[in-house]
Amino acid sequence: MAADDLLVPVDDSVTLRKTVAYVAERAADADGRPTLHFVYPVSERVDTGDEGSEAASAADLLERVEVWVEEDLGDDDSVAVETAVVGQTEYLFNPGDYADVLVEYARRNGVETVVVDPEYNPLGMAPLLPPLERELESAGLTVELAPVERPTRRGPLTRTAGVGQFVVLFCSTYAFYLLVSGTLSPFDLATGAVTATVVSAILWRIATRGEVELGKLGGRLARFALYVPYLLWEIVKANIDIARVVLHPDLPIDPQLVEFDAAVWSELPATTLANSITLTPGTLTVDVTQRHFTVHSLTPGAREDLLAGGLERAVRFVFYGRRAMRLATPAERGARTDDADAADEAGENE
Amino acid sequence: MTPRELAVLALVAGGAFFAFVAAVGLLRLPDVYTRTHGASKSDTLGAGLALAAVAVTFGFDLSSVKAALLVLFMFITNPTAAHAITRAAADQGIEPWTTDEEGEE
Amino acid sequence: MTLLADILLGGAAAFIVLSLVVVYRVVRGPTMQDRVVAVNAIGTNIVVIIALVAAATGNPSALDIAIVYALLNFLMSIAISKFTVERGGVL
Repeated sequence: MAADDLLVPVDDSVTLRKTVAYVAERAADADGRPTLHFVYPVSERVDTGDEGSEAASAADLLERVEVWVEEDLGDDDSVAVETAVVGQTEYLFNPGDYADVLVEYARRNGVETVVVDPEYNPLGMAPLLPPLERELESAGLTVELAPVERPTRRGPLTRTAGVGQFVVLFCSTYAFYLLVSGTLSPFDLATGAVTATVVSAILWRIATRGEVELGKLGGRLARFALYVPYLLWEIVKANIDIARVVLHPDLPIDPQLVEFDAAVWSELPATTLANSITLTPGTLTVDVTQRHFTVHSLTPGAREDLLAGGLERAVRFVFYGRRAMRLATPAERGARTDDADAADEAGENE
Repeated sequence: MTPRELAVLALVAGGAFFAFVAAVGLLRLPDVYTRTHGASKSDTLGAGLALAAVAVTFGFDLSSVKAALLVLFMFITNPTAAHAITRAAADQGIEPWTTDEEGEE
Repeated sequence: MTLLADILLGGAAAFIVLSLVVVYRVVRGPTMQDRVVAVNAIGTNIVVIIALVAAATGNPSALDIAIVYALLNFLMSIAISKFTVERGGVL
């Protein structure tokens, strides 16, 4: 029963145990006698006679996996287990290489379904999974993520920061303190200085990112001052729009998710853009990874506005100056909504 | 009525109207994503207008600065909170409601 | 009572009524996120109510309370979003 066979790429990830448990349970529930293939793609080339350290640890790991499966299955012997180390004859550098060796193995053994551990990432760099999934799917395999709970993932909290960051944080904290206290009495000046010092000493490597260049900062603030009225106007328009839709007796909404890659390149511009999108016509940022925005939109009109890229251009103007305004809009860069797809399909059918 | 009272009346009325839109949106719209639209946008503008009324009432004063600070803070945090909530929803696999599903419900 | 105070208190009353209406969504759900959105909206309204009452009664120090309330409101949304997912990647 090749249809129930599962191919599981294995690596020493934190959720490997849970993934193994999941596939074991799934295979035990399946009809027939499915085979579980646990495969370890080795990234370095292993020459004959020279058992490299990676190949050795791969063999260890696969043995462990076999023991786990036996534990999970108990006396149930309707499941066969095979393990293999693949990719010894070449170096694996990118997701495509991994996909190639996995596809080759799957073809040889007639496996159609691949179950991937969500933490599977042998390259050790972000992100392997999405391209790997895509490659595997384009080779005609079914790819599933094992539904295991992932432990909390944390990036490094602190990062390198210079005196500039400290000074900026100190000044803004001090200013906020004095503003709220409302006086410039010696007592407030002293307590404010102490508080601002403590806060900046603790947080200066967390709260800010990137070099602070005062010249650039000034230009940005000035352009931001121009951006605010534009944004306010957009917000007012957005709200009248929403009010009309929400109070309309028929509730004329047509919500949809739109995904596009924004042409902004660092954290603060991306945050500004995401928040601006949320505040303006019928659009709501759901997820941002790097530059990839997932936006929920309430009406078709809102989607068009979003992809026409007015906001994006404005944000680029704030952070990169006037020259950056002339880049192509998301629509021109090939971002699409389902509306457009549906319209295309309708056109093809006619 | 003085001009200031008129301005305050207009701002409070506008604020209450958009808060009303937010409340109606929260009750009427079909799923968490669309409800967040109503709450994040209308409520933010409603609060902004009402706080502007507060600032106008206090006149040129430190309190007005505080009210402005509050508005600024809300304009930054409300969309961020909305984003965090919908991202959590998307992460839990809650599917967005679309017009196609109307028949099934 | 001046007219100005009446207007502001009237606005505050409207916001209170609207907050009570939104409580329906907190009770009904159906998902945790719906409740968080609704509670967040109520929190925003309460900040406004505090500010309006502060202006109506001429009590500027209440604005500080409104600022702290707004901070807590934001923290509440972020914290719940984070904990309902328990993945650490929400923000």
